[in-house]
Amino acid sequence: MTKPVEPFFVGWGKVPKALRHFLASFAAVLIVGFVVISYATSSTQTDTGSGAFMGQVQATGILQNNPYPILHVIESPQFAPGDTILLSGNGKRGAFEQAEGLDGQVVEAAGIRLDRGSLKGMQLRNGRRGLKAAEDQAQSLEVDVEQLGRWSVQGEICDGKCLNGAMRPGTGLAHRACASLCLLGGVAPVFVSAGEIDGSEFLLMSGPEGRAITDAVLDYTAIFVEVEGDVERHGDMLVFKIAPETIKVIK
Amino acid sequence: MSVKYVPVQWNKNKWLYNAVLVAMVVGYIATYIEIGTPAAGLERPLDNATLRMRAFGTCALWMLTVILCIGPLARLDKRFLPVLYNRRHFGVLTSLVAFTHATYVLGWYFAFSGQPPLTALFESTIGFGQILGFPIEILGIAALMLLAILSATSHDFWLAFLSAPVWKTLHLLIYPAYALVVAHVALGYFQDSRNPVFGVLFIGSALLVAGLHLAAYLKERKVNAAQIDWVKACRPQDIEDKRAAIVPLSKDERVAIFRTGSSFSAVSNACAHQGGPLGEGKIVYGCVTCPWHGFSYKARNGRSPAPFTEMIPTYNMKLEDGFLYIDRKANQPGTDVEPIEYEVT
Repeated sequence: MTKPVEPFFVGWGKVPKALRHFLASFAAVLIVGFVVISYATSSTQTDTGSGAFMGQVQATGILQNNPYPILHVIESPQFAPGDTILLSGNGKRGAFEQAEGLDGQVVEAAGIRLDRGSLKGMQLRNGRRGLKAAEDQAQSLEVDVEQLGRWSVQGEICDGKCLNGAMRPGTGLAHRACASLCLLGGVAPVFVSAGEIDGSEFLLMSGPEGRAITDAVLDYTAIFVEVEGDVERHGDMLVFKIAPETIKVIK
Repeated sequence: MSVKYVPVQWNKNKWLYNAVLVAMVVGYIATYIEIGTPAAGLERPLDNATLRMRAFGTCALWMLTVILCIGPLARLDKRFLPVLYNRRHFGVLTSLVAFTHATYVLGWYFAFSGQPPLTALFESTIGFGQILGFPIEILGIAALMLLAILSATSHDFWLAFLSAPVWKTLHLLIYPAYALVVAHVALGYFQDSRNPVFGVLFIGSALLVAGLHLAAYLKERKVNAAQIDWVKACRPQDIEDKRAAIVPLSKDERVAIFRTGSSFSAVSNACAHQGGPLGEGKIVYGCVTCPWHGFSYKARNGRSPAPFTEMIPTYNMKLEDGFLYIDRKANQPGTDVEPIEYEVT
């Protein structure tokens, strides 16, 4: 008994007839398979949330520079009086430079609105076109600071600008390097809690004394962590005054 | 095979092969961007740059997976040998797709910081002491550099310049490159994706690569473990006309006994080009022809027909008691050996 002769392919020759069907089928499987896998992976991508740039806005309010620049709105065509807005600069920059010397003053802010759920933000225009002292310093606003007690919270440390919609997605490990650059540039770190605290899942982070805490959280951005600290409500924004030594990686 | 170097020695099969590759990539990217993502029902659309970095990144991952499956598939089933033929073009295209992914990452995540993107990249790489949070960009860059080296040295010029063993060893870098890509994805996008579909496909693809390599290894081991005493090979009639029997002499040395009608000659099983399995080849136009890239040799002296200059070792044989025996000691490449004559009835 002799074995059937196997077809033999030589690259520079003709494809043997016996192999043509097999190779054509394999090519079709590859092409169709890639399309199917593409659809399967792309149509099941995780939702990146509601954060986005929302158009030009302006507001007058009281500037608070600690832990990071935030604006308590007195009046604005786009924001409600009493809203608290997280400020950032252009690109991967925070608003410290523009806010210098204006802490506690009535200021006029202009830029692009960034919103994600209960977190409101504004990317300031450059220089004094984005933030300047208001001519009328007589306006005032009572900013309530409410103590919400000691909390141990699980969640992710993000940069407040990308999280707010400057990038979609602006969270997660694939975005970690970008978040690090934003934090190094002065953007405020925001803690995204796994569960809501007093109605919000977003907490502006600070050190125990209410000062900026960028350096202490850099190694923990984009990872699921647990951290302990005091939570305060400043206007309608939660501030998480963490104890850095309590940061613990969960996974 | 060639006596001079040109960028690509095109032929109809290579055009067809590349057309399939381009169709795969275009189909994948177009489906990802234009059909799949809009169907995902996202509350707000992804950034364009993020969408494209995902499309090109995942495409490169699946392409690399297929490339690594081709080798063991061809060992397990010879019908896959033609897929191996133009695998170098597959690799070069994969490098280009991966490079496009990297370009989007660099131009998006590392832009807008007031510094050049590459400077920003290295400034932001923190967390080397962590597993989760390890700077995945470094893993991706390392993989991309390896793929670039493999692409740049894929041409036959480098094969001749480096010699086949060195070139083959160099191109085993595809495995560390794949490991880096797997780590890059496993510590990055895989962690972010809350939907199991990508995770299942990602883990499944890695298992497929590992499983096929294991299966091919087990098959090879079986061949290696076969009788290798001096060296009773086979009966002449066991070899089909214009085909060969492969006889292992040791773990690392195999001989291919070719039959051309009633003539039997033994040559090294390793092609001088890339070490392809000559014994799985065929006598075409009177020459032993490698199944990988069609390099040819005369069976009696192991020399490529003029004007080509490649040579492989030959072996002396004898016929006793109806069996072919091989002299364990190889002749110098290109040594002429009178074929054994035996009329197969």
